[in-house]
This record gives sequence, C-alpha cells and structure tokens, in this order.
Amino acid sequence: MVTAAPYLVLAAVGAPVLAGLATMLLPASRRLTRLALATAGPATSVLLMAIHLGRNGVSTADTPTGTIAWVPSLNLDISFLVDGLGAFFALLIAGMGVVVVLYARAYFGHDAASLARFFPTLGFFSSAMLGVVLADHLLLTVLFWEMTSVSSFLLIGWDRDDADAGKRAMQAFFTTGLGGLALLGGVLLFGGHTGIWRWSHLMAEAATISHDGTVVAAFVLMFVGAATKSAQWPLHDWLPGAMKAPTPVSAYLHSATMVKAGVFLLGRMLPAFGALALWLPLLVSIGAVTMLLGAVLALNQGDLKKIFAYTTVSHLGLLVAMYGMGGASTTGGLGAISWDLTQIASHALYKAPLFLVVGALAHLVGARRLPHLFGLWHRPGAGAKAAAVVLLLSGYALAGGPGTVSFVAKELFFAATTRATDLHPVLAVVGVMAIAAAACNVAIFVRLTTTVLGHRSGVGEAADAPVVPAGQPDRWAFMLWAPAAALIALQYLGGLVPSLWNRTFRGIEVNVHDEAFATGIPLAWEPFLHPGMPLLMTAIAITAGVVLGFSGWMRRDMVDVHSRIWPASYRGILRGGHRIFHSIQTGHVRHYLAVVFSVLTLCIGWAAWADPAMLRPPAGMDPFEYPAGLLLGAVVCAAAIALPMVTERVVRVLVLGASGFAVVGLYLVYQAPDLALTQLMFEIISVILFLLVLRLLPRADRRPRIRVLPRLALASVVGISIGWMTLLAGHAADNRADDAPTLGKFFEAHSLEGSELTDGRGGEGRNVVNVILVDFRGFDTLGEITVLATAALGVWSMLPGRRRHREEEDLAVDTGQEVQT
Amino acid sequence: MRMSSLILRTAVRFILPLTFLYAAYAALKGHNGPGGGFIAGLIASVGFCTYRMSYGDRAFHRLLPVHPRWLVFVGLGLAGTVATLPLVFGQPLLRSASTTLYLGGSEVHLVSAMAFDLGVLLVVVGVAVGMISRLGEELDR
Repeated sequence: MVTAAPYLVLAAVGAPVLAGLATMLLPASRRLTRLALATAGPATSVLLMAIHLGRNGVSTADTPTGTIAWVPSLNLDISFLVDGLGAFFALLIAGMGVVVVLYARAYFGHDAASLARFFPTLGFFSSAMLGVVLADHLLLTVLFWEMTSVSSFLLIGWDRDDADAGKRAMQAFFTTGLGGLALLGGVLLFGGHTGIWRWSHLMAEAATISHDGTVVAAFVLMFVGAATKSAQWPLHDWLPGAMKAPTPVSAYLHSATMVKAGVFLLGRMLPAFGALALWLPLLVSIGAVTMLLGAVLALNQGDLKKIFAYTTVSHLGLLVAMYGMGGASTTGGLGAISWDLTQIASHALYKAPLFLVVGALAHLVGARRLPHLFGLWHRPGAGAKAAAVVLLLSGYALAGGPGTVSFVAKELFFAATTRATDLHPVLAVVGVMAIAAAACNVAIFVRLTTTVLGHRSGVGEAADAPVVPAGQPDRWAFMLWAPAAALIALQYLGGLVPSLWNRTFRGIEVNVHDEAFATGIPLAWEPFLHPGMPLLMTAIAITAGVVLGFSGWMRRDMVDVHSRIWPASYRGILRGGHRIFHSIQTGHVRHYLAVVFSVLTLCIGWAAWADPAMLRPPAGMDPFEYPAGLLLGAVVCAAAIALPMVTERVVRVLVLGASGFAVVGLYLVYQAPDLALTQLMFEIISVILFLLVLRLLPRADRRPRIRVLPRLALASVVGISIGWMTLLAGHAADNRADDAPTLGKFFEAHSLEGSELTDGRGGEGRNVVNVILVDFRGFDTLGEITVLATAALGVWSMLPGRRRHREEEDLAVDTGQEVQT
Repeated sequence: MRMSSLILRTAVRFILPLTFLYAAYAALKGHNGPGGGFIAGLIASVGFCTYRMSYGDRAFHRLLPVHPRWLVFVGLGLAGTVATLPLVFGQPLLRSASTTLYLGGSEVHLVSAMAFDLGVLLVVVGVAVGMISRLGEELDR
C-alpha cells in the first residue's frame, strides 16, 4: 500500500523552494503578492509538518516515515524519518523561515531587486535544510547537506559589489564543503562496511554495531562534517566571517539553521555512536574549547554582529559538548544529557532576535558598534525604543537570566557537567569552562545594558556615529523589530510558564536522562527552592560576569588568531596549484607528445617483457603478397622520413598530404571503399585547414626544446613498436581459426538481419561499416559528433566572429562588386 | 582567402551541384552501399570549401545564408533526438526502427538510423565549413 506520509513530507521539504521560485514569475511591482507567496512556502511546510505529526505522530527507529523509490538500482530512495529530533528541527527551520521572510521585506525595503533575488535563494536554502533534518537515507542527508553549503554560499556572498563578501562566502563554502566531503566519506565508509544506509536502521541496530577501526574512522569523518558546519574550533573562523551577509541571512543561518545542522547531525549520531570510546573525549574537548574561545572573543568585540557571531560559536561549542557528555548517557546510564532540544530551541529563540534587532538598528540608527549605540534608549522614535527593548530582553536571555528558557537550559548544562564529573574528575574542567563562558555572556549583557540605557550627557556621545541613510519610512518598518519581539516573547513564555513548554516538548524529547528533569523543565524559581551545584555555578557566573561587565578589561576589538588559517591555506593551495600546473602544462606540444609517446612505449615494452613471444617475427608471412600495397607503404614511409627534413611548413603539409593519399591508395588496394572515400575527403579538408591555420600562425620557433637525438630515438622507437604491433595484429587475424567468434563476423552477420543473439533485430543495412557507425556503435558516433561540435564551438569562441562587421559591409557593397575580382 | 583563377571558378560552377548530388546519393545510399552520413558530410564540405575559395566570402554567404553553427546545432539536436527517442517508448538508447514505404510501386526501406546519419552529416558539414570559413575570414583581414 502506498502511504501518503512520505509524499506529505516531501511536499513540506519542497514547498519553500517552489514558492521562492514562483515569486520570480510575478512582476517586480507585485511586491505584496511576492511577499505573500514567499511567506506561504515555509508556512506551508509548517502546516504540512503539523498535519503529518497530527496524523502519524512522531516516528521512531522502528517506524520510519516511509520511502519513495528514486534510483532503485543504486539502492537510493527518498525516505524520511520524522522522529522527535527531525520534527523539531523541521518546525524550527520552517517557522524561522516565515519570520525571516517577513523581516527581509522590511530589511530590504524598497530594494525590489534584492528582494526578488532573496526569496528564491532563501527558499532554496530552507528546503535544503528541511531535507537534511528529515532525510532517513544517509546519502540523501549528504545530498541535502551539500545543497545547504551551496545555497549558504549564495546567501553569504549576497553583496556582489563587496569583494570581501565574496571571499567570506568562499571561505564558508570551502570549510563546510570540506566537511561535506568528510561526511560523504564517513557515510560511504560506514555504509559500505556495515550495510546500514538509513538513520532509522542505524538507531535500531545501534547496540549491535561493532566498534572496530572502520566504524571509528567513519565516525571521525562524520564528526569532521558536523564540526565544520557547526563552526567548531579550530575551523570556526568562517562563521564570524559570514557576518558579511545581510542581517536576515545571519539571523537565519546562525540561529536556527545552517550552523545547527552540525549539532543536528550529532543528535542523529548519538544513539548509534554515543557508545564509542572516542565519542565523549572528542566532542567534549572540541566543544568545550570552542565554547570558551567563542565567549572570550565575543566579549572582546565592538561590533554587535561580531559579538553575536562569537556567542553563536560559543553556544555551538556548548551544544557539541552537551552531546559529547550525552555519550555517557547512552552507555553508562549517566544522566548527563537532558532536554537537548530545549537547549537548542532556547538558543534559536534568543539568538535570532538578537541578529534581527542588529539589522533593525543598522536601519533605524545607522550604527552597529557598541560605542555608537550609546544612549540608544534616549533617542527619538518608537522604532529605536522598541529595538532597544527587544535588544535588552534578548540580551537578558543570552546571559541566561532567571525567568527565561535560556536560564533553564544553562541549568541543564551545568547539571550535566556536574554529573559528568562522576565519570572522570577531569571533566570538572568543562564545568569551570562553562562557568567562564557563562560569565562572558553575562558581561556582554551588562555592557549592552549600560550602553543602551546610558545617558546622553555622559561620555561616548554618539555624534561620531556614521549616519547611514535609514531609508524611506515604510509601512513595513515595524517588521524590523516585530518578529524579534515575537520570538523573544516565546523565551519568556516558556521560562515563566514551563508547563506550556513541557507540553510542547515532552513528546519529542528523546534524551531525558536526568531524573531530576524527568517530568519537565522546572519553574523559574524552582532551582532557588532546591539549591544545588548548578545554581551555585550560575551564581558564580553571574557575579563574575557583572564584575567583568562593569570593568574596563577586554573592551578592545580582538583579532582571532584562527582567522589567519584560511587566508594562509587558501594562498598555499593556490600557489601549490600554480606550481603544479606550470610544471605539467608547459604549453609546448613537443613536451606533451614526448610524455604521451614515452608512456606508450613503456606500455608496449612492458607487454613485450611479459610476453617475449611478441618479439619473434610472425611465421609464414609473405611480404610480397600484395606488391601494390608494398609500393604504397614505401610512399608512406618516404613521406614520413622526408617530413622532419623539410623546414617549410607548407611543404610539410603537402608531404603529410602525400602520405595520406598513399593511405587512401592502400585502402583501395585492400578493398575498403568506404574508408578510402572517407580518407580522401578527410585529406582534402585537412590540407585546406592546415594551410589556413599555418598562414595564421606566427613564425616558427626554431629552437628545439628537446635535443634532436632523444627526439629521434623516441620517434623511432614509437614508430617501430607501433608498426610491429600492427604487423602482429594483422598476422593474428590471418591465422585465426575460421570458426572463431570475432566481432567482425558478428557485425557481418547481423548488419542486415538479426538473430537470437540480438533478439532478432538487425541493422537493416547492407553496408556493414555504416551500420556499425550508426547502429552497433551509434553511441560512439553520437559522442564523436558532440566532440566535433564542441571543437567547432571552441574555434568560434576563441576567434570571435566578425559577422556584424561583414553585414555592415554587405549593406555598403551589395552591388555585385565581387564579380570583378 | 581567395583564388581568382578563372578556370577554377568556371569548373566549380559545374562541380558544386555534382558534389551535392553525390553527397545526397552517398547519404541516402549509405546504409546499403558505400557511403554514409560522415562521408556525405565531408563531400559536401569539400564542395562548399572549393566554392568559398573560388568565389569568396560574400558569395559563399549567399550560398549558405545561415551561420554554419546552426547546421551543427540542428544536426546534433536531430541525432540526439533520434538517439533518445526510443527511451520514450521504453526501448534502449539508439534502438532503431524501420518501416517500408511503397512509392509508385517501388519499395523504399526507411530506417530511423538514416535520420541519425543525417544529423551526423549536418554536424560534419557545419564543423568543417564553419572552421574553414572562420579561419578564412581571419586571413581576409
């Protein structure tokens, strides 16, 4: 029975890109319709996912959502797995997509051209992301993964006039593309080794997978893919660089989607690979380093976008470390991971508003750097005030203040680190690092507050702020801050009324291993009633953060040393490629021919060494069987010997022609009229072509680049060995038994009528040569004429035509003047 | 590039139609006798080139009013269509079909491979004539 479920999910995946492309069909002036259509894409995805979940519920490893046959011969099909993780991410991506589309309308404002380009590109990206999180087949995941790399390249390098944006997009593409290759390698290695090609299958079989070297290698490769996508140390530099993108893109890519793909992948891998001995140390160490590094770098930035980019890096590190510690939960029953989706959602719900509001500020106030935003609250205009409120509320969530989901998420992480110390005392370091990172976040919030609420009469007057034309007031301007306000409201709603949050998330949370949180996330004040280690850690972090925030330390723009990795390696790759290219591609035909012929001679020599019988002259040959052939062969030889002695190019062409015409004669002697005719015509045309080209060539370069003697030796060896091979081949054909099955006999037998060998189908022609060309080997012919056409296109494009020129002449001289020449 | 020899020009006037006629014969006959699309294309190209050499670019342009690339496009398109058409009917690529027509009492055996051959012919003519005339133009400068 065909179920509708996979088609429903497929429609949900495809809706954003289809809607995005459909907007291109509308005229540019229909902006409202375009906006409605572009919004409808991700909104449809949300709706379809809701319908799907309502009808089928969340699938588990045993009940994947179903498949649609795609390439059965490759064992590749379109299969989806809408489990808790996938459903959560799909709803997050699609929901955030709606918000970002609406925001983009306000952000780009009257720039209709940008908007027209933005909707399809964003739709492409949304669909790719939805595919990543919903795919069940490992290769399907990789396919969509690569599509996110490509589409994010388009989005990050949005500003075509900004060379730096292009470079940054390239960096992001290279880094995540490298990770994509690693992921593909890991998937192929794993699938080939275990025969498991589906996530659902993988989860079901998790317990039986052996932990041998191949599986570990596959896991490491997959982790590299996840780590590059999620901007983990030491390859995190692409993420702050990607801030060159317009704000809607940053808000979308860095809060909910692109960078979370890596985290998502770890969530997918957790049930299967969490038990590997390498899982916990690898993920926790990389994640913890990234977490602390990102937090410190964030504190040391002045540009709001940079600040939030580095806090994103930091939080991604936290999530990776969280999944790392979760590895212990799958094996030892250690409750080190709980409510992972809540922690991911919490980040998305405050990071997206932060980015959105940064873009709003750039529009409303024309500034993005902290010093320029001093006294933002006191500026005129409702927009600026609204933006300031949203900024502070989101900043409070960033700091993990009580009353937000983010506070609970931080508590969960602290609880996990304290639990993890049971496993090994050294993991206490992670707890310390987490406190330090949290303190940095608190300090950032303190600085945001003091900056925004600071009074105008104070120092740091914002007069030096660059005044960016804020654009025409637009009736959509409220959309600059409204989506951010809606998102941040969810943070507080979930934090203050956790029962709502629990009802939503309990059904999809798979990893709830800490019994303290078994029923749900706690009420805002509950941790205060039952103080414990996590609350103590929070207190330390807040105290340290407030001190740090008011202090004068770490206020300069710090340059990340890791930002040197990319330019250096990029330059290295280019230089290395340049060097290799120039050592291989000398640009001299002589060198290429020398290489080709040397390899050929070596191959023939190797064959002769393997079979010494090749060196013996074939017995029973009568050299004088065809005197006419002998004579013509002598002409060919004479032409060949004469060729290098002649210096004049035109004469060389003619000598070459003589050799060719002698070959025509040979074909006639041996009764091959088709070949003779073809060769004859071909000789005529090639002589004409040669003569034409030679007149266009510059004067001959007389200096031989390879000395004469080696060239002569190579030429002789090649000529003699090829001739010898031809002789052997002809002799072998002569001496074959009469009833031996050969291709020639097959072609002869089937060129007109078929037999049971060919299902009774013949070539319907008496000319075997032509039937071979157009029927038996028709595919070759198709390829050959394609090559011919390509070569001709090359000539036409390299020698740009003068047709227009000539048409003008035609107009002037269309009076039959050509007769008199 | 032009050879203004009166003998050549006069001869070409007679040779050109004969060349085309022979090319057509070779193309049609190719499946059963010596000939075929490739040869026919080369024959026609030689005819075109000789004409261009003796009468010059402008007259040649009048003989072949389109850019030779159109011959290539049409030829490649035709061959590609004939090659992929069987896929539509669930047959393998390039599977040929044949039919027999009765025209005025005589049987004419038609094979789909002949259309493929015609595509080859057009490509060969387009490429050869296009390259030679392009290079010739370069020399005329």
